[in-house]
Amino acid sequence: MSGESEEERDDDVRAGEYVLHLLDPAERAAFEARLEVEGGLRQRVALWTESFAALAAEVAEVAPPAALRRRLEQAIAAAPRAERPAQPRASRFWGRLAGIAAVAAVVVGVFVALNRETLFGLSPAIYIADMESADSPFVLRAGYHPDEAALVVNRSAGEVPPGRVLELWLIAPGASAPVSLGVLPDEDSVTLTVPEPLRPVLAGATLAISDEPPGGSPTGAPTGSVLAAGPLNSV
Amino acid sequence: MSTPQEIERLILGTADGDRTAFLSLYDHTSAKLYGICLRVLKDRAEAEDVLQEVFLKIWRNADRYRANGFSPMTWLITVARNGAIDRLRARRVKAEDLDVVTEVPDHGPTPEAAAVASSESAQVHRCLGELETDKAGAVKGAYLEGLTYQELAENYGVPLNTMRTWLRRSLQKLKECLTR
Repeated sequence: MSGESEEERDDDVRAGEYVLHLLDPAERAAFEARLEVEGGLRQRVALWTESFAALAAEVAEVAPPAALRRRLEQAIAAAPRAERPAQPRASRFWGRLAGIAAVAAVVVGVFVALNRETLFGLSPAIYIADMESADSPFVLRAGYHPDEAALVVNRSAGEVPPGRVLELWLIAPGASAPVSLGVLPDEDSVTLTVPEPLRPVLAGATLAISDEPPGGSPTGAPTGSVLAAGPLNSV
Repeated sequence: MSTPQEIERLILGTADGDRTAFLSLYDHTSAKLYGICLRVLKDRAEAEDVLQEVFLKIWRNADRYRANGFSPMTWLITVARNGAIDRLRARRVKAEDLDVVTEVPDHGPTPEAAAVASSESAQVHRCLGELETDKAGAVKGAYLEGLTYQELAENYGVPLNTMRTWLRRSLQKLKECLTR
């Protein structure tokens, strides 16, 4: 092996299982939360996708019924493409992230200043994660305050679905499964204490929010949709 | 079969809302994509239904093709296979009451990654050839027929955990071979 770490090999295997659709729903959701933010993982998925697509060469071509072409012709006549926004959703998502990065210095300054006032006595945050998703309206920001081991999670957009709760997950770098940091009370700002064993792995980790039944995931892994995710970056 | 450049031109035409380009793309690729749906679903009516959804997705989302960086046939094959497997899994979701059916994120690899990947795609057959027959067969069964670990274990008459171990080791070996 050409110097690949065990973590990298695990990521390769997991990415292969993802492309083959072998992960169960919870594993798939956790993997997709990481895909949102880890470029390296997307490259692994891309390599498997391209490689396996070559297997389709052996699939026999079968002409579909002529009626299908006529149905499609009618459907596209009724739904002109030109009315759609030209920009792909994914680009908007990453464009927004780039925008956030561009103003990060200002925003982080404001965030820390606000917290110094409102969260009386907390040390300045050293890691901040902006959590969002192209598929949901949720926008949250989490800041980690090392002296108190406090993670302050502020929600600026998104309503908790009736009869459901939000659960916060930590996905350590290279980890295949997320670890629950707990169920979030339905409040705009929540402060959690990060358990000691998890503190050293916060740098470079990803935070994700999933939608769960009351009391949180019954399985110890996310069971509902990933509503938002983002990496913890150094301030 | 048309050249990748031809298919790409038709996808880009579709992204511009050109109906003639879209129908020509359908004429060039629908037999392959229908074959893929049939292989996964093994039911003509369902495969036809999925194929229609797949082409409507292609019509609506052709502008995302540029951003995802895959080679043109890989993109079409992946959209078709994902559509068919989602349908296949939905049959079971009803039975198992799972409430998660997440979509594949639609942001793809960088163009650089896709370039590297496409030069490697031709190697997959050679690399599968380096695996034992059963193990290569399990990988193909997962890709081409959308089989789950449970179904693969039953097909090959081994315990579920043995199948997981087999397949994960096969993926490791494949990755080593593909990047050699």
